Amino acid sequence: MPLGDIPLHATSWLILVALGGVLAVDSVSWPQVMISRPLVSATIGGWVLGDPSAGFLVGALLELMSLRHPPFGAARYPDTGPAGLIAGSAYAAVGISSLGSLVAAILAGWAVGWIGAISVQFRRRGNERLFSPEPELAARPELLEKRHKTAIRLDIVRGALLTAGFLVPAILGAAWVVDQPESGLATIWGAAMLITALAAAAGAGGRTSSFGIGGWPLLFAGAALGGLIAGIVG
Amino acid sequence: MKPLRQDLVAAWWRTFAVQGSWNYRTMIGGGMAFSMLPLLRRIYAGDPVRFSEAVGRHLGAFNSHPYLAGMAVGALARAELDGEDPERVERFRAALRGPLGTVGDRLIWASWRPACLLVAIAAFGLGLGPISSMFLFLALYNVGHIAVRIWGFRRGWQDGLGVSKALHERWLDIVPKLLAPLILLLLGLDAVLLSRQVLNVVAWHGLFAGLALVAAFVALMAFRWPRRTGRIAVALVLSIPLVWLGLAALNG
Repeated sequence: MPLGDIPLHATSWLILVALGGVLAVDSVSWPQVMISRPLVSATIGGWVLGDPSAGFLVGALLELMSLRHPPFGAARYPDTGPAGLIAGSAYAAVGISSLGSLVAAILAGWAVGWIGAISVQFRRRGNERLFSPEPELAARPELLEKRHKTAIRLDIVRGALLTAGFLVPAILGAAWVVDQPESGLATIWGAAMLITALAAAAGAGGRTSSFGIGGWPLLFAGAALGGLIAGIVG
Repeated sequence: MKPLRQDLVAAWWRTFAVQGSWNYRTMIGGGMAFSMLPLLRRIYAGDPVRFSEAVGRHLGAFNSHPYLAGMAVGALARAELDGEDPERVERFRAALRGPLGTVGDRLIWASWRPACLLVAIAAFGLGLGPISSMFLFLALYNVGHIAVRIWGFRRGWQDGLGVSKALHERWLDIVPKLLAPLILLLLGLDAVLLSRQVLNVVAWHGLFAGLALVAAFVALMAFRWPRRTGRIAVALVLSIPLVWLGLAALNG
């Protein structure tokens, strides 16, 4: 697609980069109201670029795929705020007519999520230095407050840099994919694999939240209900 | 000196940032001390030495679910106000870590959050607009989120060292058990509704029936072996561009 057709300009880029910082800090540092979930961040990304439905679809797919990674303890999990924002923006930017761009957006979101997870680890190591030596901080509580706020600000900067670094490449990648000729076989393969991965994500996510109730029949009952609705709606 | 209402509100508000300085050495220790400062300043007003000692006690390693950290902040501040023995306070602090993490992870991360997300996705799949569905999730989720934070902080402040009984309240066990069947039902429903959306993109609904059987089998495998099948799912998605590139190369 012609680059001029991509609805990303300097203003929208700046808005998205700023949003990347805000969404990243929500994930762990402050205030954890879950605007960092891919469902929200991808919808916002799509909204900024004019297509919230496209953003929501990518966000929902990423959401199901990340249900298997709850943030228990010190576990490593994808940084879904900037990841969802970038994925939603990429899919919305190139139009929703292509399975290729959907897959490209999901892969971009997935990759940025895990790169973000690595950047979170670096930030946590940086926080160790910010909070040493402890006796000095205990003696000077105002310094403790300052360092704590600095750590939060650095997290915002981390999210903004992540978004600034990967937003344009993700959009250009999705635009490049749209330009490639799609064969029937490739489309069938893509749709089949995406739906199979979705089923795997639903099964794995269900296990995380089932608490030993052995509920796979409920999973299938829900799927049957979905099939019924899809059949009625057409 | 007993903390004023404004100190309690300030400490509760600061618990939203309790993970702001998360690190591998003290985890949320820095955030705990940061959150308790408005209360400790009042409790030890005019006694900088004891104030500094108290801050030092709460800077040490600590971890909990972030939404229940307020319970620990309230309880530990109450213990400081009651003049409890510092060693006892530190033992209590260490004992509180595990249960606050386990209860919160189970209640919020594994139950409340997925339930709210899945409700919003189902609403979108059934025709609600994307922005409305997004706000539905945020509103629904944060009603529960804020309620848990308020409850935890209040119980901690009221009960002090006796707060562990709050963690045995029946609703903390019942809510995840009640939500589990709903989550499973919604997961199945949402997976099918999202699959339909994917097929809308390729405009080929002939795939729907054939894929249903394969998807059902894979979902069952994933339920039984979540970690292994989850990795296979990632590999399946990664296979898409590889197969496309391969087919493009074959076609010249």
